[in-house]
Amino acid sequence: MTLLKVEDLKVHFPIRGGFFRTVVDHVRAVDGVSFELEEGETYGLVGESGSGKSTTGKAIVKLNKVTSGKILFEGQDIANYSSRQIKPYRRDIQMIFQDPYSSLNPKKRVLDIIAEPLRNFERHSPGEEKKIIQDYLDKVGLSPDSIYKYPHEFSGGQRQRIGIARSLTLKPKLIIADEPVSALDVSVQAQVLNFLQDLQEEFKLTYLFVGHDLGVIRHMCDRMGVMYRGRLVEEGTSKEIYNNPQHIYTKRLIAAIPDLEPSVREEKAIARQKVSEEYEQSYSKYFDEKGRAYDLKPISTTHRVALP
Amino acid sequence: MWKFILRRVLIMIPQLFILSIIVFAMAKAMPGDALSGKVMDPGISPERIEELRDQMGLNDPMHTQYIRWISNVAQGDFGQSYTHKTKVMNVIEDRVWQTVYLSLFTVIIIYALAIPLGILSGRYNDTWIDKAITGYTYVGFATPTFIFGLIVLFLFGFTLDLFPTGGTVSSKVDEGTFAYFLSKLNHMVLPAFSAALISTVGVVQYLRSEVVDNKLKDYVRTARSKGIPESKVYSRHILRNSFLPIAAFLGYEITGLIGGSIIIETIFSYPGIGQLFVTSISLRDFSVVTALVMLTGFATLLGTLLSDIILSAVDPRIRIE
Amino acid sequence: MFLYKYYTNINENELIETFFTKLLKSSQKLYKLKLNYQKIIYFIEKVVIKLGGTSMEKPIIQIENLTTSFRIKDHYHAAVDNVSFSVNENEIVAVVGESGCGKSALALSIMQLHSKDRTKMEGAINFKGKNLLPLNEAQLNKVRGKEMGMIFQEPLTALNPLMMVGKQIEENLDYHTKLSKEQKKTRTLELLSQVGIPYPELTYKQYPHELSGGMRQRVMISIAIACNPDLIIADEPTTALDVTIQAQILDLLKSIQQKTQMGIILITHDLSVVAEVADKIVVMYAGQVVETGTVREILKNPLHPYTKSLLHSIPSAITDKSRLHVIEGIVPSIAKMDRVGCRFKERISWIPEEAHEHSPELHEVETGHWVRCTCYQHFHFQDEKGEMITHDIT
Repeated sequence: MTLLKVEDLKVHFPIRGGFFRTVVDHVRAVDGVSFELEEGETYGLVGESGSGKSTTGKAIVKLNKVTSGKILFEGQDIANYSSRQIKPYRRDIQMIFQDPYSSLNPKKRVLDIIAEPLRNFERHSPGEEKKIIQDYLDKVGLSPDSIYKYPHEFSGGQRQRIGIARSLTLKPKLIIADEPVSALDVSVQAQVLNFLQDLQEEFKLTYLFVGHDLGVIRHMCDRMGVMYRGRLVEEGTSKEIYNNPQHIYTKRLIAAIPDLEPSVREEKAIARQKVSEEYEQSYSKYFDEKGRAYDLKPISTTHRVALP
Repeated sequence: MWKFILRRVLIMIPQLFILSIIVFAMAKAMPGDALSGKVMDPGISPERIEELRDQMGLNDPMHTQYIRWISNVAQGDFGQSYTHKTKVMNVIEDRVWQTVYLSLFTVIIIYALAIPLGILSGRYNDTWIDKAITGYTYVGFATPTFIFGLIVLFLFGFTLDLFPTGGTVSSKVDEGTFAYFLSKLNHMVLPAFSAALISTVGVVQYLRSEVVDNKLKDYVRTARSKGIPESKVYSRHILRNSFLPIAAFLGYEITGLIGGSIIIETIFSYPGIGQLFVTSISLRDFSVVTALVMLTGFATLLGTLLSDIILSAVDPRIRIE
Repeated sequence: MFLYKYYTNINENELIETFFTKLLKSSQKLYKLKLNYQKIIYFIEKVVIKLGGTSMEKPIIQIENLTTSFRIKDHYHAAVDNVSFSVNENEIVAVVGESGCGKSALALSIMQLHSKDRTKMEGAINFKGKNLLPLNEAQLNKVRGKEMGMIFQEPLTALNPLMMVGKQIEENLDYHTKLSKEQKKTRTLELLSQVGIPYPELTYKQYPHELSGGMRQRVMISIAIACNPDLIIADEPTTALDVTIQAQILDLLKSIQQKTQMGIILITHDLSVVAEVADKIVVMYAGQVVETGTVREILKNPLHPYTKSLLHSIPSAITDKSRLHVIEGIVPSIAKMDRVGCRFKERISWIPEEAHEHSPELHEVETGHWVRCTCYQHFHFQDEKGEMITHDIT
């Protein structure tokens, strides 16, 4: 069942200039993105900074205003819902943020941080609430007596887990994870990623993973979409994207990933050089006159590429 | 940049307009008018007073009075001062320069004192220098200006008789001579210093906290990694960056320049704008009061604009295109 | 010559003059020959070194038993604990570890950029034969920027936001060279184009916030190489950058190194970056060096449990969606660390106590490959069921 379907989503930010501060142009952060998410799958949205991937994620959670397009959640178009209409959907769509150091209110105790979403929607007695929270803390691997502690008493990985616990309290169907592990060390990354996988099984979650670390995305996601300048340039299963990239931007991205095998260093450097040249030459083929990528065209059942 | 300035100046016009309405309304809302205070001739009958009122146009409808007033203001005529019996402009003109000199002197002292103290305090923070300077700022912050002014006046003026206790210039010197200038300076010393010593504390604290913050910044580490001697690290990086908020405040000082300090001028019997303000209110001299409020309002707007311009000149991050 | 004299009857004085001139000329020729000879020998040496990779390399910097301690509440705690390694010409040494391992403290210690009143340093930093540790600020400032350059992690904060980028590069030249104003500007523009900035004239006048992350890092690099230093310390130079920009910056560093033969100390937590560019690895944990060797050796045959665990936690190393290896426990804080015994002990609690050394030393397992603590000999992974498994990195 298609849980989320994004159709031609556009998020434009106005640029004001001139004498009367009129709108002179727009920053086209997201310029026509379409993709689908099935229930229970993990979809990765990959791109470099400025590609619009974070903006897309935030637009789905309604943290950014949608300029045009549709966001169909379980068949309902929530793109233009007012804050009153969107309220029930907030239970179903939650977000995990990137920076564990700033996404938790430093003046609040862990109990209040995790209980906040719960208090917005449900009524529980303090005893019940405490029990629910301790339950979730246990699930993310933190000890139950951390409920009275403050965020600064925890490490980055632990804070990120608190953020994950917070997003789980309302039993959402879809979680959008905006670069959840990029601020963490490698060994802590592993812990958090494992948790996310376990939680997905237990709570039957669907993930939209937004990030730029291709290794992490490849590990976690079934399918990936590569974004560049606000548009998707390629979409497919992780295997397809890695082993058979079609779009020159994807090729350039894959070629830039450093390899853990030192003996292929020189080869890779040459390959990068070649891809970079190819990129320069074929640029006009893959992007139109305005620099926008074309629409995605399927080249197999799961693999779509932005070809002219 | 010019577009920004032009836009701000154009916006000032409606702002001044609104200000004038507010000022006028407040002035008229005050109980009594020019004729209800001191009466010139105790024998005048109430009917005669009403007649005079009519003559002076004080019984006309509000908007008529306002339009009359504002059109005069636009021509630079603030009307007659009821107490001084001359045009308001003359009264103000006499005093505004005194206030400007005093404020200028005060501002110079403030920055001359505060900047080195702030730098020292920030550079050597947590040492006894810093503790002494911070202690001084606490005391200064807690001391009300009028008490300090009175103490200074009493101590240095009366008891020790080091400085004159009132007026701007002694009557024994002639205008235009150096002695005149010295005498003027002499009369400004006490008020200026008592105002300055209290006002330095704000600048010192700001500068200190900026220096302490900037010392730990990454770009200072980069500068050290280039092998730049410590003194130059301070002058080129830390201090230059710490002056940002001070530069911003410079614009606001303009407001004070024209507005003057009511307390200081009253205590030291210094005939400036501040003193004029207080006396005019108590004497119900509306024309002077409204003129002064307009002037101060205009100075504030100007000061804000200047602040913004200076800040964008100094900080490239907020340069307005 | 005497025959000459007999046969031409030239004046004796002239003859002597000619004799000495000829002597001088031939000695000059001989001298030039000697120089050329030396050059040839040097060249042959270099070729031999390149071919054989012998240890005839000259170390630019030798860090010996460096210990940097920070004062926390009246006690000094060592963040860098007895660390030794060296960097040769034209070599990239990567110092790898996670947060809390002391690698950033190490980077700043080499240039002695820590605040003096809270830091204590012991050991020796032999830079081109001279120990830098006992030098005072004035002497250190002659080395910093001129013979040693540093690249920082976050270029936006590491550059002065109120100063033009070009001027910040020139600042380095101001204090270490005697060039004139125009010469400095020319050199700066040269440097900007050398690091791959497309419009040097334009960029010279810009401010840090007007540039992209990659451009800012390039500016940082040009500041560091301005005076042609012999050593560059790069503290996580690409962590804040996108992957394509990262590749460009790393390629740039390598190409600059080719031209100048300088040594680079690369501090990073990203093992794949290490695999891309480094020659030697120094793995740090809890302030100590736990393993060191060439990159090929360590990545092919990691020995220390920490190195092994780290390699297994990396998502890109495992191609399918199986679980990532997790190192249980957390990195010890420097104030509460157990300074005696193997510091990695608690995190591999299933390995018996006897396997660890009481005061673990570095053992040279193979030439150039050193591992700390004998626990590596008895190490094996453990999955959730408590069974012994050994992983191979595919």
